Amino acid sequence: MTGESAEYPRPQEDSDNRDFLEAWRDGCLAVQVCGACGRSFFYPRPLCPHCWSDRLSWQTLPGKGEVVSFSAIYRPNHPSFFSDIPIVLAEIRVAEEISLLARIIDIVPEAVRIGTRVRLLAKSEANRYPLPTFRPDER
Amino acid sequence: MDATQIGIIGYGQSVYVKRTERSLFSFLAEASRHALASAGLRKDEIDGLAVSSFELPPDNAVTLAEQFGLSVSWAYLGTAGGAGPVASVINAARAITAGHAEIVLCLAGDNYDVAGHYRLMDNFNRALKNYGSPHGFGGANGLFGIIQRKHMETYGTERTQLGRISVGQRASAMLNDNALLRAPLTLEEYLNARVIADPLRLYDCVLPCAGAEAVVVGPLDRAPAGKAVRILAGYERHNHPPGEPAPLRGGWELFRDFLYRDAGFGPEDMDFVQAYDDYPIMVAIQLEDLGFCPKGEVGPFLARHSFAWNGSLPLNTGGGQLSCGQAGAGGGMIGLVEGVRQLRGEAGVRQLAKVRRGLVSGYGMVGYGHGLSTSTIILEKVS
Repeated sequence: MTGESAEYPRPQEDSDNRDFLEAWRDGCLAVQVCGACGRSFFYPRPLCPHCWSDRLSWQTLPGKGEVVSFSAIYRPNHPSFFSDIPIVLAEIRVAEEISLLARIIDIVPEAVRIGTRVRLLAKSEANRYPLPTFRPDER
Repeated sequence: MDATQIGIIGYGQSVYVKRTERSLFSFLAEASRHALASAGLRKDEIDGLAVSSFELPPDNAVTLAEQFGLSVSWAYLGTAGGAGPVASVINAARAITAGHAEIVLCLAGDNYDVAGHYRLMDNFNRALKNYGSPHGFGGANGLFGIIQRKHMETYGTERTQLGRISVGQRASAMLNDNALLRAPLTLEEYLNARVIADPLRLYDCVLPCAGAEAVVVGPLDRAPAGKAVRILAGYERHNHPPGEPAPLRGGWELFRDFLYRDAGFGPEDMDFVQAYDDYPIMVAIQLEDLGFCPKGEVGPFLARHSFAWNGSLPLNTGGGQLSCGQAGAGGGMIGLVEGVRQLRGEAGVRQLAKVRRGLVSGYGMVGYGHGLSTSTIILEKVS
């Protein structure tokens, strides 16, 4: 599973999301925090969606989260995912104010519950996946 | 012009097909010709044009006018996905009220197939392309699997309840020659169908197809005798609630009270509901948020009602997208056309016996996790 990068569709890197994607290449999950209103948000944007300030900075989150809801996908869009099915796609709460959509690997759908704890992949594994990806957090 | 004297004075639909070599314009043209004939108008009487279509770019409402040889004083490009067509009718009526046009042709349709739909969804907008597609998100199916599970976990909604929507609509589709799926469907078959994006199975999902729908909006007195349909009320909402990837609401709950206040009728007065049925779970959420039952109680509501054209709550009486197929943005107009057809008494073997008014709802433009747009209109037969 590690090493070779799969032929997954990649995000289009631009001035809005470059820092986020670079953080993930280092195995980190970075989100934006607004210097004006103090709120944080995902996905990356050129303005704070709460107050429209452009005084934005990046904050690295601990990379732990909790499943809010999920789906097990047996018919992914892109052919590059066909050998990975089922794909567990979840809404994951990664901070008090932030839920995002992400894959959870190394888990069968039957084992996922609302509230299942997950953590980011290690940096050595991160390279294979275009976006922050999680695995069960066994602790 | 007096807003109460504006309505839908004609409608049309193209043939629906699973895949095609035909151009998008040819489907839009077919629906347009039928709508014009239904309105009893000549082509050059149209002075406003609205179109909703995913596959239309790089074309738009203005270049469509060129294709169709129309010169118009008002042009509108739907940007709200499956909520766009109902929104286009609301806006067309406003344009006529304000004197920008007199007769507006509203079109919606697409000519894709299953593979085309997947390509479309992978590139639907920047947020999905960048933060959905690279996860193998399964298009809309994966996202609505997440929403349905959340509804089931939060409120105890069951698949045996949701399935009654697909099963009821299929019974109506069996009386619709233009529905692509007309074989009988049992609840057992619904429950045990192939898993697509658990908890969604095959009959929770629509079949992407080619087709187009059209309505003509104009002064009620321009309709053929006895065929005018009044617009009693209409509202739309976009990007609600902001910042939530998988909400169990979409905006209907914000405008519901205004909608019924304007119409002068409540949900109990509706003789049919044409709800946007990309998935039964979204129909269920519309029934809740448009006041047919309290929030969170749609499961028992579904269990005690039946949804075929002759059921206790006539729902998507032509079979809806779940049985007819989803002709892209045309899916946002299929219910409008069916509602008008019913109110004009032209629904043939599935004609409702007693029909005075009904509700048509739109939903769509999937962004980061859910449909961003909602729209609803209440229609009444002019007697």
